[in-house]
Amino acid sequence: MTPPPPPPASVAAMIRPMPAPADSRANRDILAVMGRPTIGYVALLALVVSTVGWALGTFVYQTYVGLGVAGYSHPIFWGVYIVTFVFWVGIAHAGTLISAILYLFRAKWRNAINRSAEAMTVFAVATAGLFPLIHLGRVFKFYWLLPYPNQRALWVNFKSPLLWDVFAISTYATISIVFFYVGLVPDLAIARDRATGWRKVLYSILALGWQGTTKQWKAHNRTVLHLSGLATPLVLSVHSVVSWDFASSIVPGWHATIFAPYFVAGAIFSGFAMVLTVMIPVRRIYGLERYITDYHFENMSRFILLTSLIVGYAYATEYFVAWYSGVEPERTAFWLRAFGSYWISTWIMISCNAFFPQVFWFKRARTHIPTVFVVSVLVNIGMWFERYVIIVGSLSREYNPAVWGQYTPSWVELSILAGSFAWFSMFFLIFLKLFPVIAINEVKELEIHERAHANGGAH
Amino acid sequence: MPTLVGIFDQPGPVAETVRRLRGRGFRELQLYSPAPFPELDDALDERPSRVRWWTLIGGLTGVTAGYAMTIWMSYDWPLVVGGKPYASIPPYTIIAFELTILLGGLATLLGLLAVGKLPRVKADPAYSPRFSAEEFGLVVRCGERDVAEVDALLRAHAAKEVNLVEG
Repeated sequence: MTPPPPPPASVAAMIRPMPAPADSRANRDILAVMGRPTIGYVALLALVVSTVGWALGTFVYQTYVGLGVAGYSHPIFWGVYIVTFVFWVGIAHAGTLISAILYLFRAKWRNAINRSAEAMTVFAVATAGLFPLIHLGRVFKFYWLLPYPNQRALWVNFKSPLLWDVFAISTYATISIVFFYVGLVPDLAIARDRATGWRKVLYSILALGWQGTTKQWKAHNRTVLHLSGLATPLVLSVHSVVSWDFASSIVPGWHATIFAPYFVAGAIFSGFAMVLTVMIPVRRIYGLERYITDYHFENMSRFILLTSLIVGYAYATEYFVAWYSGVEPERTAFWLRAFGSYWISTWIMISCNAFFPQVFWFKRARTHIPTVFVVSVLVNIGMWFERYVIIVGSLSREYNPAVWGQYTPSWVELSILAGSFAWFSMFFLIFLKLFPVIAINEVKELEIHERAHANGGAH
Repeated sequence: MPTLVGIFDQPGPVAETVRRLRGRGFRELQLYSPAPFPELDDALDERPSRVRWWTLIGGLTGVTAGYAMTIWMSYDWPLVVGGKPYASIPPYTIIAFELTILLGGLATLLGLLAVGKLPRVKADPAYSPRFSAEEFGLVVRCGERDVAEVDALLRAHAAKEVNLVEG
């Protein structure tokens, strides 16, 4: 049966260099985002970098002078920094939700947005992680939070929710970086094969010599599956732990068992809103409509509607429990929440989080991109105020009239708040130019399959 | 030994070709694809990826380390509250949980590197940027006398071209 071996001369004749690569459209379109920056991009980057610089200077000033320059005064010692910490931790939840939970549910529509959402998770955690440190009077002692052997033979108190926070946030930061990077490796190989100059060097190092062999893909699939399985309970635990910072105290308005699910829903809510706020302009500026379609935005709007209902329900439950418990300080706290000195924040919170997103009941609103964008911005504002209401409002009226007080954010705190948005935007802008903004290999997987069907393929 | 590279457009025919080649006793096969495809996963090796053991060992290390660290530290520097035991398991479960995830996840990453033989400095001679575009490459190392047979088999299964590379 076997044909006779060909003469060596014919084998030699078959050796020829491979022809020039035919590139795919997905590669070209998505890698094009990393092309030469426009004037607008450079101007925006300059703006955010200078804002970060301003905030950094303010922080140095605060560290030098002391926390008195923040608006902290008796009895309120948790202010904008803690509010902003909780806010950014919340934003960080969308990436893992999209990447891990929707992966486990095999929701294919996540492919277009998972990369950017994962990136936002990493940057939001990087932003959030700064705030407990900014909030420290002696920031240079932050390492006291870690259990390390020391001369005093002291260990940290593992019974404190603040220490659970240290473990939860640092685990979350590490795992979201790992998740982001693992997903990125095959796309870095795509970039490596097409780049020149310093980018070629950078991507060659970061891509680790990935070649897309079957064995590598199989290991990669397994890795993503396991990381998703690990990250799903993790993402639910992180904001639960953050909520226990409050719920395990006895402050009126904080001491509630509903806090963990309430915070997790709020985190997903704000995270999706942030993904929309960022990706709607990015899609338009870089012409990615072919990959990120209105269908994706509509699905995310549905998520916002769902989590808005959960958050609204939690607001109502808090009021009901305050009334039904018959505990006078609880009742007072919730009365003051709506009609006390922080009433504006409360009504911003209720209207932005529970009321405006109801517009997404209508398909016309979910598919009208300007509406989606406006609602997503409102949700971001509302969720920041939610944390402000919970933290500052509750601390201003505790049980004893001796610990009643008022709090107004100082210019130092507001500068650092602005700096946090700039810090996040700075990372995201750099990410746009350095890494593929959409998971190219996942887009291709769908496209090649679709082509097989179009050609009447066998599968 | 000559190395033949068949270039394909679709994963289905690749999987079929691999089955045929393995049926005829060719063992030195390598497959490059632009994205993961379920039909190719088990084409060369049916066993599940060994990454799963890394996750398991990492996770178990994490949970053990979490409980061991917190309990040992509680006894090393006791905080005496009433007549209660020094170590309280419910809050320590949170630390143990976080460390399970942390070490499990990091071990999974190491597993990916170990199983995928990463990082590697030099690309395979048969690798081409075409495989990070949209094409599939099936690499067959075979004896010189088999070149014509493999070439015919690849072309018969919708390989749009077959190249010979040294190495």
